[in-house]
Amino acid sequence: MIKFKSHRRLYLFLCLIIPFWLGVITESLADKVTLDASNWGLEEGKECISCHKKASAGLTHEWESSAHANAGVNCLDCHLADEVENDAIEHEGNIIATIVSPKDCGRCHTKEFKETEGSVHSKALSLIKNRMPALADNLSGREMIAAGCAQCHGSQVEVRGDGTLTPETWPNTGIGRINPDGSRGSCSACHARHNFSKAQARDPSACIWCHTGPESPDDDVYASSKHGALFASNRNKMNLNSDEWVLGKDYSAAPTCVTCHMGASPGIKASHDVGMRDSWSLNSPVSEKQNLVIFDDGDRRNLPISQAAPRRGTELSKLNGDMGKVKAVATPKRRRQIMAKVCLECHSKGFANGFMKQFDDVVELYNEKFGKPAQAVMRALYDLNLLTPAPFDEPLEFTYWRLWHDAGTKARHGAAMMSPNLAWWEGMHLVSQNFYGEFLPQVRELAGKEQGDALIEEHVTSLEHHSWLKNLDQPNPILGYGIGRPSHD
Amino acid sequence: MIKLRMPLFITRHVLFALMIGGLAGIGFILFLIEFDHFTSTEEFCTTCHSMEIVAEPYRESVHYRPDSGVRASCGDCHVSEGVLSATWDHFVGGKDLFNQIFGPGYDDPVINELHLPEAAFAARQWFKDRNSATCKRCHVKEAIFGTRPDTNLIHKEDAKDKSCIECHYNLVHLRVPDEKVFKREAWNRMIEEKYGLKPGEADKLLEE
Repeated sequence: MIKFKSHRRLYLFLCLIIPFWLGVITESLADKVTLDASNWGLEEGKECISCHKKASAGLTHEWESSAHANAGVNCLDCHLADEVENDAIEHEGNIIATIVSPKDCGRCHTKEFKETEGSVHSKALSLIKNRMPALADNLSGREMIAAGCAQCHGSQVEVRGDGTLTPETWPNTGIGRINPDGSRGSCSACHARHNFSKAQARDPSACIWCHTGPESPDDDVYASSKHGALFASNRNKMNLNSDEWVLGKDYSAAPTCVTCHMGASPGIKASHDVGMRDSWSLNSPVSEKQNLVIFDDGDRRNLPISQAAPRRGTELSKLNGDMGKVKAVATPKRRRQIMAKVCLECHSKGFANGFMKQFDDVVELYNEKFGKPAQAVMRALYDLNLLTPAPFDEPLEFTYWRLWHDAGTKARHGAAMMSPNLAWWEGMHLVSQNFYGEFLPQVRELAGKEQGDALIEEHVTSLEHHSWLKNLDQPNPILGYGIGRPSHD
Repeated sequence: MIKLRMPLFITRHVLFALMIGGLAGIGFILFLIEFDHFTSTEEFCTTCHSMEIVAEPYRESVHYRPDSGVRASCGDCHVSEGVLSATWDHFVGGKDLFNQIFGPGYDDPVINELHLPEAAFAARQWFKDRNSATCKRCHVKEAIFGTRPDTNLIHKEDAKDKSCIECHYNLVHLRVPDEKVFKREAWNRMIEEKYGLKPGEADKLLEE
């Protein structure tokens, strides 16, 4: 230990050391943007403000109270465009673009841009390519794409020859938006403009905007989970405005979506690759664990474990169809490890692992008891030409869709995030009602009793899970059996 | 009483000629005024079919159908004030007539719209060169109140050193991007899509 001969020397030492110490702190807070401040604050951009204060006072007021304004980042720093860009427009003497793409944000926020560009979020549009013809074209109409699908999944923004953006594709802040500059994603999907507040993006409401409804019922799941309840009652203790937001250091009252899926906790770096820590696919007819393939250019994709994991250095198709060179593969186990490590800030290892087991068990139960048998029956009906190839022209197809897409998703998401109601009453209980009460009777109706029974025997009742259907003598009074008879009271 | 003595060379014939010449001159100026007036009307301009195509979006615009009923016709915006300037503008504008007769088939909406951007750029430059003089025939910057509270302030403070055309283009005719960001490729594709042409057909038509 350093010994100081007098207080004077101690003060001198402190005077010398404190500036260094402060320096370290400021650097660690500002490490997100490593560029020098001389890279922004364009002179011409300062002129925008006087007029926009009058023309769009709300927008300008939002920006004025933002960290951007505080750091001297003005309108033009983000909206500046090059003449050759296809969405460039002339505006009051400057060449700008209406859309600030992730690539534009990435001029300063390099790390975040690379992480989102590689993430499943940025591919949200390509992920639903197979669903759009059935759901948008057949069941509704193209009008629903702009108002529905693309709101969350993103539009492919079209620029007309006259420089305008087509109203079918813009305005749009869907997270998988394909921008005129070719980049994918939209930062303002979560970071609402023009304040870009940290607190706003960290609040679950930022995610819930899209993670709601049957396809991703996470708003209801979170709200009815213990974690969500804690957040609701402790919102003011969440320190949401803090520069850094490390679990256990800057906050502890409750975990939010950010905490587990992308947030920093001791030993775990924050990442804008939301989805990186997900080991299961939970939005498919049958769930599968998935490898995360990392390409050498930073792009990433999920690959179900039923497909062989590619070796380092081999070529694999990316989600956009291009070929990429594999740099690394993160196994579901590794992904789970990272996710589970977050739990350890508040829970014991045994607690965390126990919970994960409960979650995995539900997913596997869903898969084995309902997901796989129902899928096998559907496949057989298509093969036997008892169903036309067109989706949603037969009642059974709606029943099956509700089974895995609506109720099945709720059950699995409910179990993933500890909502007893979603996991059971609105989830697996409805899966089960659907399966036994609608799906199987409709299969019999469609295939005829003989063929229907054969199909059901092959894919359903032969399984241990459904063996109770062969033992129909077990009484239970909850549906009225034996009520009023003395022997059953 | 002082008696004015005419110089000797002012003979009766000279006086007569001067009088005829003067009257003819006045007549000519009056003719020019009437001529400029007549040739500035929508009716006259649209006698060429190519101009009818340009007039269609105009008839949908607020300059054609303002709440006040004060309609700006072609010449109100595109022909300068004053008989000499107006005549000169008409003289220069004669090239449009020349092109109508000898140029590409502007009467075809496709050809017309393919060539429109260059015409728009030229027209914008014309306004810029004149400091938006023809706009100011009707519009007084300080008197622009609009419908929102700050419209007047924006014009008085932020647009203080600007003339109308610098901000207000694409008001009346088919929308054309600013010359600096104009992309011929994208424009041609848009026209092809609009008129159901095959990709690349616009480029061929433009070369003809």
